[in-house]
Amino acid sequence: MTQQRDEDNFRSQVEDRLDHLFQEDSPEPTEEHVGLGEHPLKGLKAVLLSIDWEITDSTMDSLLNEIKNVEYVYSEDKIILTFLQLLGSIGRYIRANKGRAHPDATRVINSVYEALEKVALTEGMSRAEKEKTLLEEVARFKKLKGQVALRKVEKKEPAVSEVTAPPAPAPEEKAITAAESPAREESQPEAREVNFAGMSPHEAFAYALEEIKNVIRAEFRALRAEIKLWRESK
Amino acid sequence: MAIINLKKKEVQAKIVYYGPGRGGKTTNLEYIYKKFRSRIQTEMVTIKTHGDRTLFFDFLPIEIGRIKGYDIRMQLYTVPGQVKYESTRRLVLRGVDGIVFVADSLAVRRKENVLSLKSLADNLASYKKSILEIPLVFQYNKRDLLDEGIPLLPVEWLEKDLNSKLKAPYFEVSALKGPNVVQTMKKIIIMTIDSLRKDLT
Repeated sequence: MTQQRDEDNFRSQVEDRLDHLFQEDSPEPTEEHVGLGEHPLKGLKAVLLSIDWEITDSTMDSLLNEIKNVEYVYSEDKIILTFLQLLGSIGRYIRANKGRAHPDATRVINSVYEALEKVALTEGMSRAEKEKTLLEEVARFKKLKGQVALRKVEKKEPAVSEVTAPPAPAPEEKAITAAESPAREESQPEAREVNFAGMSPHEAFAYALEEIKNVIRAEFRALRAEIKLWRESK
Repeated sequence: MAIINLKKKEVQAKIVYYGPGRGGKTTNLEYIYKKFRSRIQTEMVTIKTHGDRTLFFDFLPIEIGRIKGYDIRMQLYTVPGQVKYESTRRLVLRGVDGIVFVADSLAVRRKENVLSLKSLADNLASYKKSILEIPLVFQYNKRDLLDEGIPLLPVEWLEKDLNSKLKAPYFEVSALKGPNVVQTMKKIIIMTIDSLRKDLT
């Protein structure tokens, strides 16, 4: 009985301490723009989220179709159209390269979409603010384009196809080459069959260490490529 | 395994956030770290790849403070979710005391959730631990995407797929926005401390 009371007391003290440490003072601030509801961007967002996982011809075709649908809705809005051109360009690049696409490609496409959503949904946003947001995304796109081009040169593989540049008001952009050689760090199979059951702990550790080394080498390659790009841009 | 120093009255336990890649394990820890940084007064360690994916693990130590004379510390870890890092996941699980399984609610991720849970059970078994016995909390993440019209797995399906035998507590969560991130963490900490308490008396 006494032990039970002690245990309850201990638990309640832990709970009190956790409540004190992690008391959430106020709800998270929410973005000012409204939810998508039945907005024309809803379908585009759904497809973009799914390509985070499943890069297949079918999902990429859906993405390009959704972009066309939204282009039709916003045919009079140059800024939105430029965002859509950026999305289309990166989308076609990912479609051509799938899992071998530059690792930043999905990050940039998501960033461009988020900016597009902000511009399309934020009420009262001035044209200057919209253009500023667009230019930031164009800069990201340019950087990605440079990284892709550099990687292609490193692999010495020819471009397969080109995509068109976004129209004004964004600065003129050359599109990302739609296909490039697979990166060495990405070319390894997703899951290698390894017999862990037969491994001793130190063998398993050595194996894990080797995996880490491989990824670190790949990271250094990417870093060197970025430094080279940066030097060239100076 | 928890480090319990009865002489110094210190307890240190290890909690691992496990689940499929891009499910939100790191986002959980980042939310906690950003939101409560001033109170927990520790640094989060994270090692990411060029593509912003967890390479080895994320690590967030939390000082719970002194309770009944014991200094209690929790160490929160994540494992890399990508399939190819199976051996790294196994290493991070060494000495684990409690698990949060972060399942991805996206409909397209149903199979990956099941495979990841199986890998958790197998990896625990390699340390002679049973998934049926270790403190475990399920977290069904990305529930906020329902409002955006994204196809999600109904919670009933997730429960049936993952938790029908284990009957562990679960939370519907948006790790990005915060709802139930803290509740998940509190629950696993309390369950873990409960499981260690017999060693403290």
